[in-house]
Order: sequence, then C-alpha cells, then structure tokens
Amino acid sequence: MNVKTGNTGTSKTTSWKVVLPFYLYAAIAFFVATILLLISAPDITKHYFTPHVLATTHIMALGWGTMMILGASHQLVPVMIEGELYSDNLAYISFVLAALGIPLLAYGFYVFDMGWPAKWGGGLVISAIVAYLINLSVSMVKSGHENIHAVFVFTAALWLLTTAIAGLFLVYNFSYPLLPASSIAYLPLHAHMGIVGWFLLLVTGIGSRLIPMFLISKYNNIQQLWWIYGLINGGLLAFVFFFLYSDSRLLLVLPLLAVSAAIALFCNFCYRSYQQRIRKQLDEQMKLSLLSVLMMSLPLIFLVLNIISLIILPKENTKLVTTYGFIIFFGWITAIILGMTFKTLPFIVWNKVYLRLAGKGKTPNPKELFSDKIFNRMSLAYISGFLLFPAGMLLHYTFILQSAAVLLILTSFLYNWNVIKIMMHKPVLL
Amino acid sequence: MNVITNNNMKCAIALAALKNVVDPEIGLNIVDLGLIYQLDFDEAEKITYCSMTLTTQFCPMGESITHLSEETLKITFPEYDTKLDLTFNPPWSHERVSEEGRKFLNKR
Repeated sequence: MNVKTGNTGTSKTTSWKVVLPFYLYAAIAFFVATILLLISAPDITKHYFTPHVLATTHIMALGWGTMMILGASHQLVPVMIEGELYSDNLAYISFVLAALGIPLLAYGFYVFDMGWPAKWGGGLVISAIVAYLINLSVSMVKSGHENIHAVFVFTAALWLLTTAIAGLFLVYNFSYPLLPASSIAYLPLHAHMGIVGWFLLLVTGIGSRLIPMFLISKYNNIQQLWWIYGLINGGLLAFVFFFLYSDSRLLLVLPLLAVSAAIALFCNFCYRSYQQRIRKQLDEQMKLSLLSVLMMSLPLIFLVLNIISLIILPKENTKLVTTYGFIIFFGWITAIILGMTFKTLPFIVWNKVYLRLAGKGKTPNPKELFSDKIFNRMSLAYISGFLLFPAGMLLHYTFILQSAAVLLILTSFLYNWNVIKIMMHKPVLL
Repeated sequence: MNVITNNNMKCAIALAALKNVVDPEIGLNIVDLGLIYQLDFDEAEKITYCSMTLTTQFCPMGESITHLSEETLKITFPEYDTKLDLTFNPPWSHERVSEEGRKFLNKR
C-alpha cells in the first residue's frame, strides 16, 4: 500500500483574524474617499496639489488600495510561496501601525499641516510596511520555494517602502530644506514609484497567479512573466534616473514604452489564460476583474497626452494630470479590488463559520454569503461614475463631477453593504 | 476515472459518496475534478486509506474539502477508520478532470 496516512495538515492557510481587519478598514476608507471626492468636486479642476485632493489620493492609495492588497496578500502569501505565513503577530502589528498612520497622514494633508500629524502618519505607515516586509521575507525564506509570483510581491513591497520613504522626505522638505527643489517638483517621482512599483507590479504578480487559477486555465508562461517583471522594474528605474539626472522630457518616452510593453504582455497573458480556460462561463466578479485588466491601458493614453502636453505646452495641463490620477486610483485599482473582494472574502468567512460544521448538514455556498443583486447594482453605479468623472474633468463641469462622485459614493455604500453582510454571516445549516 | 484501488467495489461506493463533496469555488465535486488519487481498504485492520490532492497547494478551501472528505468516508464506512493523505506529488492538473466534469465546466 503506497498511501501515506493522516497527512492533512499541509494546507494551513492564514487565519481569518489576520485578514478581515484589513478588508474592513479598506472598505471604510473607500467610503470616506468617495465622500471626500464629492466635497472636493468644485475645486478639483483647479489643481491636483490641493489639500483635499492630496488627502483623497492618499486615502485611496493607502487606506483603500494598499490596505486591501496587504490583507489579501497575507491571505495569498501561502498560495504564492507554497508555504505558511511566518507570523500572525507581525501582520497584526502591520495592520495597527498602518491603521493609525493613514488617518493621521490624510488629516495632515486635509488641513495642510505638514507638522506632527503628517510626519507621524508617514512614519507609522513606513513602520507598517517594514513589518510586512519582514513577515514576507521570512515566510519566503522558510518556504524554500522559488516562485516568480512571490518575487513580484516582494519587489513590489520594496517599491512601496521606497515610495513611502520618498513621501516622508517630501513631507519633511516642507519644514526643512532636505531636497534641492520644492516637494511638488518630486511628486511625479513619488507617485509613479507607488503606482508602477507597488500597484502595477503587485497586481500583475498576484493577477498572473489568480486569474488562471480562477479560470482553471491550462495557460502558463513563466518566461512571459519574467519579461513583464523586467520591463516594469527596468522602466521604473529608467524613469527615476531620467527624472533625477536629465532635463529631457523626451527621454520619459523610454520608460513609458517599457511599462506599456509590460502591460500589453500582461493583457496578452490574461487573454491567453482566458482562451485556454476549462471553465467556460465567467461569474460577474471575474468579469469585473478582467475588465480592470483592460482598464490598465487607459492611464497609458492619458500619460502619453500628459507627456505631449509637457513637450508642446509652456506649463503642464493640471486637468489631464488629475484625470490621469483618477483613472488609476478609481479605475483599474478600484475595479480589480471590487471584483476580487468577492472572490476571496466569502471563502475566508465561509471557512471561519463552516469549517467545523462541514459534514454536519448542507451548508450554503460561499457565493451565497453576499447578494448578487447588490453586487450588480454596485458594478453599474461604479462604471457610470467612473465614466462620468473624467468627462466632468475635461468639460470643467462641476455638476457632472458631483453626479459622478454621488455614483461613486453609492458604489462604496453598496460595496460596504455586501462586505458587512459577508462578515456578519451567522451559520445556517440548510 | 483514474483512481488507484485494491477493492473496486468499495472504491465505487466511496467515490459515489465523495461525489457529494463539492469544491465551493468551482462548484464541481471532487471526484469529477480528479482530486482523488487512491482509495485502499485494509480489511484486516478495518482502515480506509484515501490519497487526495487540491487544485492548488494552500488552497483557501483546502481544509474544509479534506475535512468533509474524511467525514464522508467515515459515514460511508462506519466500521472502518479513515486515514487521509493530502499530497501534491504529483500536483493536480486539468487533465484529471473527468469527461462529466468537463461538460459541467463547459456549461457553467
């Protein structure tokens, strides 16, 4: 008899206690950010460097995007590295530090006080990232498995740390002249390290693991993923170099081409996974997630327009820059989170509620823990608000901006409703 | 169905019972999904040995799938102990999905 016996403990997943606070925090942050978007709608067409826009951007980037990704990543690290998460305590520490730091930082921006709230907020966020990096590094070393997806996640976390340190420098630069130019001059550097280094690298790294997994696809191409990894990091490093050491705006086209090629390759990876899937029908959550992959190309169009305007116009077009930021944070980052939340959270909660009840009777399916109707209405409100906002920006029409913001508030409200519905689920045996 | 066994009749009964264990994410039962590798029955010791896998290692639903499989085998063969081995060698591949499973996935 060749069967080894009693070995059922090799698939230990991260505890729900670690993951759920991140999800809840992110959901609330999304709601707050959409409210702030409505409040700041009348001023948003003036300039992107305003207290309300800075506060909204940081709540979206850190409170929404980063907290959600950190939560999901603690859950997915075992899947990525084929090993267990090293420490639940480090994950709790990371959560508490970030949960305290983000509102302080956002408050500092909102009242434009670059004193202790922004400085302490930034410091706490950096400490949270360090705790996450330590946890991730030790988990990777202990697992002993080499895995390209884990390399993506680890490198993305390094870029996040670099972005946060650069951000704190910019905050301190208001009080002490640490840098040769004003903080506003370095914003593109800080923003793109975060957008490309953290969000893009992480979404491609995790997406290339999860999308084929959820589609049950036969497609796998590690070499293609290494190219994506190289193009994103090479493009970003080139951007940092040209930004700091060259006056030529034309050179910025090179990193843009590298990152565009990476996004095109990732879209191709997802398309081939989709083509070679065994599971033919897609649920609404996967449709929204795949839509977010297509939405990755939208910022590139605006980036090209921004670079052209930088070359041909005497000063930058701030409306284009703000719209570019909007379609990143409220666009593909939000779309992928809206979709993937309901591919992960119901299963985490189902495991928490029903694991020990399995076999005792018929249990509901994890997908029944949230309302499809609410999800579909949320998607509709989201897509309408997302399309309307750039139109309001470019037409300089406050009413359109406010209408779009209201639709996004509705999106976040419906999202929170479903998230809370899942989290509050009580066991029911059918 | 590509399941190794030392007792075809008992294996058929076990597989019929295990068809009630469904992967909640995919919606397909673990037998048609090809997660069961081997089912052996030790008549002398009264033990059912089951070797199975998951579609991905550290699958978030893995613990509940293995737990439910173990419970199902215990209920099906109450006079036998059940020993379940979760293995990823060889790893699961889509080729293990049965014809019925493929039809189900094509429809969904």
